[in-house]
Amino acid sequence: MASELTTSAARQRAGLSGWLRRNLFSSWWNAAVSLVLLGLLAMLAVRLFQWLIIDAQWAGSAPSACADTTSLCWPFVRARWPQFLYGLYPSEEVWRVNLGLAAGALLGAALAVRRMPARRWIAAFLLLAYPPLAWWLFRGGTWGLTPVQTSLWGGFFLTLVVTGSVFWVSLLAGVLLALGRQSRLALVRQACTVWIEFWRAVPVLVLLFVVIIMLPLFLPANIEIDKLGRAMIAFAILMSTYLAEAVRGGLQSLSAGQYEAARALGLNWRQSRLHVVLPQALAVSLPQITSNFIGLFKETTVLLVIGLFDLLGEVQRAASDPQWLGTGTTAAGYIFVAVFFWTACFCLSRASSRLERRITRYRAAAT
Amino acid sequence: MRGNSGLRRQRLAEGETPSLPGMRKNSAFWLQCLLGLALVALVVLVFRTTQSNLELLGVQSGFDFLWKKAGFSISQHLIPYTEDSPIWVALAVAILNTLLLAVFCIFLASLLGLAVGIGRLSSNWLVSRLSLAYLELFRNIPVLLQIFFWYYVALRALPSLESSIFITDYLVLNNRGLYFPFIEFANGFAISPPVPGRFAYEGGFYLMPEFLALWIGLSLYNGSYISEIVRSGFQSVARGQWEAGAALGLKPATVLRRVALPQALRAVLPPLTTVYMNMFKATSLAAAIAYPEIVSVFVGTVNNLAGRPVEVMAVSLVFYAGVSFLVAWLMGRWNKRVTMRGQ
Repeated sequence: MASELTTSAARQRAGLSGWLRRNLFSSWWNAAVSLVLLGLLAMLAVRLFQWLIIDAQWAGSAPSACADTTSLCWPFVRARWPQFLYGLYPSEEVWRVNLGLAAGALLGAALAVRRMPARRWIAAFLLLAYPPLAWWLFRGGTWGLTPVQTSLWGGFFLTLVVTGSVFWVSLLAGVLLALGRQSRLALVRQACTVWIEFWRAVPVLVLLFVVIIMLPLFLPANIEIDKLGRAMIAFAILMSTYLAEAVRGGLQSLSAGQYEAARALGLNWRQSRLHVVLPQALAVSLPQITSNFIGLFKETTVLLVIGLFDLLGEVQRAASDPQWLGTGTTAAGYIFVAVFFWTACFCLSRASSRLERRITRYRAAAT
Repeated sequence: MRGNSGLRRQRLAEGETPSLPGMRKNSAFWLQCLLGLALVALVVLVFRTTQSNLELLGVQSGFDFLWKKAGFSISQHLIPYTEDSPIWVALAVAILNTLLLAVFCIFLASLLGLAVGIGRLSSNWLVSRLSLAYLELFRNIPVLLQIFFWYYVALRALPSLESSIFITDYLVLNNRGLYFPFIEFANGFAISPPVPGRFAYEGGFYLMPEFLALWIGLSLYNGSYISEIVRSGFQSVARGQWEAGAALGLKPATVLRRVALPQALRAVLPPLTTVYMNMFKATSLAAAIAYPEIVSVFVGTVNNLAGRPVEVMAVSLVFYAGVSFLVAWLMGRWNKRVTMRGQ
């Protein structure tokens, strides 16, 4: 900070040299730091280039293509690509996955267009009708579709299904929990508070084990929920408490006048929450909700610990195939997964901060 | 809603529906009775079902299994432990391993976060850009993937015992782990350095590769979150404060330590508590690479051996919830002290 204050006018020249002086070489100390960092960066870049591109093995798609087990093995990713995408989903039924996911993507994209006609209806369809329809398409078993056991689901597909379904359920449950935590009824308020505070303190992996082992004991013998279902219940319990906290933040940001105004208009509890309170509260908590969504998306990777194969799980499973053993194979698989997650999470968080700015502007204009 | 007006106003501010004259209090009372009854009925139903299910499976209940012989070995134990030790000692070993990992991670992540967070505000373009690159790189990749990368790729590339890397004479790194001198309690106080043995280094203390992978992975991931908290904490300190410090003739480092840091701490502590709790909870990922902490030892091995799922799960849940509440309480007290000062 002090160096900024002493910046002399002579240093503030325009052009490249001026920029360099201001930003990299403003003092002897800064110059030394810049030079050392530049040197380190150059070294790192050369090493990375060597490892990722020059030394890596590129050609072919059979295990024999990677004679050297320690340098990166890109043929592994090419050979196992379908498994990374769909897991063990039968290849002649894969069109169902493609159709379902493409429909979801299309609906989402349509929602993003601001001048879309009937946007309300698209949103309603995406929220209410799409999830059960997609599940029916993926799971099959009725109306002529061959059933596909969830134990065969995997890869990118499973990551998306778990993230989407859990988020869908948790948002609804989270809103209800947040409203419950503010209830006029002491019992409801206390019960919701205890529920939220307890589950917030428990790690997702522990809850996964607890639900997978305990749920069958809690339920009568004739009700059976498969492993994927149990895992999603565990995720949903945690996710709904996180979302409840996010929504509570939004609810608390509303002034008491909003509640009073709703009441003065003669709206009952349901009407006032649905038309006055929630639309504003959800808008305020949207950044928190998105960051929770990103967290859930990343967290689905722990599914592999309980023997379900999400994207990372499929890579791990493929890399432990004796034909492909080697650190070069594993590393290539990990880099592939990392690039996928990084791109998705980075874009989501950028979109979220853009949305946040828009909402702030909108709210500022409204008041 | 019979409380005094101050409480009532506070509740209103929190968004509670005000009760207007004419609202029937009785209906609320009966509604709660009904809900309470439903809750109790649900609990009883689940309890009864569980009981009959356990009977059908022939599972016994009770905590007596904690005093039985464990019969399995644990690769890292901070207190004396053998296969003949009772299960509760194994539980204590696992808890200590969890806490050791958590403390190491909190320390390293805080250090990284502080350095990178201050780096973000640097006037040196390269430093601030590199700090941003660190943040964006590590925050957007699942932490389990990062741990796997360190464990299955980076640490696998370490040399074997014969060609160990000597960071200094007493700090040895090879694919068995990181060896360093440690206080020996066996015969009085003595510092024992690691000495090459037949199969591994002996003496001193060593951190196994599983621990190293978790330590690096969790610290780098959570350090990125902490850096963001530190940056916004410093930015919340008004610019005038820095200038006032400089005007008083204080050195930049003194301004940082005496003026900016205490004020930034107020904005930093609540979100920092959340990250610390998340980090503590994330130590459970250790089960994925079999570092012997509470999930892999207790929820995994002991559960399979003892066949007491209800008790095992209850103990684990209580442990995690207990520590989380303790951390939240301690950080809350620290936060109170920090915010009280200077007001």
